[in-house]
Amino acid sequence: MSKILEVKGLTHTYGGNTPFVNDAVKNVSFDIENGEIIGIIGHTGSGKSTLVQHLNGLLKPTDGNILLEGKDIWDEPKKIREVRSKVGLVFQYPEYQLFEETVYKDIAFGPKNMGLDGDEIDKRVKEIIGLVGIKEEYLERSPFDLSGGEKRRVAIAGVMAMRPKIIVFDEPVAGLDPRGRNDIVKIIKDYRDTYNATVLIISHNMEDMALLADKLVVMNKGNLEMFDTTENVFSNAGKLKSIGLNVPMITEVFFELKKMGLKVPDNILTVESAVDYLLSLKKGGVLNA
Amino acid sequence: MLRDITFGQYFQGNSKVHRLDPRTKLLLLILIIVFIFLTQNMISFLIATVFTACAVIISKVPLRLYLKNLKAILPIIIFTAIINVFYGNEGKVLFSIFRLTVNTGGVYRAVFMALRILLLIVLSSVLTYTTTPNDLTDAIEILLSPLKFIGLKNAVHTLAMMMTIALRFIPTLVEETEKIMNAQKARGADLENGKLTERIKALVPILIPLLISAVRRAYELAEAMECRCYNGGEGRQRMKKLQFTLLDVIAGFVSFLFCGLIILFNVVI
Repeated sequence: MSKILEVKGLTHTYGGNTPFVNDAVKNVSFDIENGEIIGIIGHTGSGKSTLVQHLNGLLKPTDGNILLEGKDIWDEPKKIREVRSKVGLVFQYPEYQLFEETVYKDIAFGPKNMGLDGDEIDKRVKEIIGLVGIKEEYLERSPFDLSGGEKRRVAIAGVMAMRPKIIVFDEPVAGLDPRGRNDIVKIIKDYRDTYNATVLIISHNMEDMALLADKLVVMNKGNLEMFDTTENVFSNAGKLKSIGLNVPMITEVFFELKKMGLKVPDNILTVESAVDYLLSLKKGGVLNA
Repeated sequence: MLRDITFGQYFQGNSKVHRLDPRTKLLLLILIIVFIFLTQNMISFLIATVFTACAVIISKVPLRLYLKNLKAILPIIIFTAIINVFYGNEGKVLFSIFRLTVNTGGVYRAVFMALRILLLIVLSSVLTYTTTPNDLTDAIEILLSPLKFIGLKNAVHTLAMMMTIALRFIPTLVEETEKIMNAQKARGADLENGKLTERIKALVPILIPLLISAVRRAYELAEAMECRCYNGGEGRQRMKKLQFTLLDVIAGFVSFLFCGLIILFNVVI
């Protein structure tokens, strides 16, 4: 595995030279390996959104660098649009950014901006709707006639059709029902597997994070609080709670059990792993350790 | 970039001008602007300038902000002045270009006109800097309320409510526009480069989502208002009642004095 993205000493200050100076992100550094799924968690206003808007050059760092495949993305400011096709960014509620007359045209907007030819665009659109689960007959419909979940999948497909090496999601499952959530989670995983891509996800849902993420970036008041594997971060429940975040519910249960004096591990992140653990205890007959 | 746009220009403060009743400010502004346009000679202009300067100083709003407003309007002032230079037909002829002659009368005229617009802008800025948009719409609603008697019963309240809502949603829409612009930029939209026609075309992906979200917000707001039993102006009361104070009497007195002086000097000289 190789480093695909390096964030080095990133600092961003809003409103410089005014009385409202505010460091949204302070000296944040971390590296991301190719193919990883990284979760970004933190309180509202902790700098998560500001952080991810630097990764594709929507914001320019006040200080520090972003290296994409070893190259500073601001080396050639004229080529920043190329960076944006390599690092896709799916904003919160992406369905509010749909604008074209048909689903097809909307998904083709990104690839068209990349200057691809018609055949290639056509190929990419057809391929990506298969991945996000939109039927081919929907392509000629207006995106505004679709259901909420379908709209979101079309909007995500619009970014994925550019085939970014890195794709960043800001709260991809906000406001969806459980089935919609599962669909999106599956789409994200499928995209990673199909295109060998790297994924970053901002989310408040710790269960989703436990299921999806290999590593977690924990932001607090603009600082990088932790950057570690999901297991290590969640086993540090005390620290997470001290900055107002939480751990998955099942981890919390085991955290409380431990407090009661039971010898249980603190790396239980999903209900499945909890079940496995409890069954293994039953087999071994040491439930009351 | 977009954040530089200021419509509601209110500048937080507690000066004597801030504390004036918005109705007083609005009415006196109209009165004084009329009289500024009646000024004909140097002395009355001097009085008008001193009066404006006093209003600016008492408002305690930084001079920089007034200059910012003037800068925006500067092309119009210059344009008006240039046009007016050619309209004088008195005094000594200074020079002529083609068939247009410029004489001293024209120069006076141009300077006066430029000065009038300048004072007008500064005085209006005093009003907008020291009055919250909500106070202003309240004042307009009350001042227009006599229209009730000529059959426009609900129109006044509706108009005022529309203004209040429009002002309230400007920052929200600015924020929304920025979000949509970022989202389309993330999809490779090029908003900064290209020919004029290309740039106009590039606005479509921003304007359509913005329009749709504005309509959505309008529906949501209407529903929320209905849920709180809003049914127009009838029987509605205000939380903050506007009240005239001694300050308003003084401001009124000073303004009438100013008007009297302008009349005096225009007639006498």
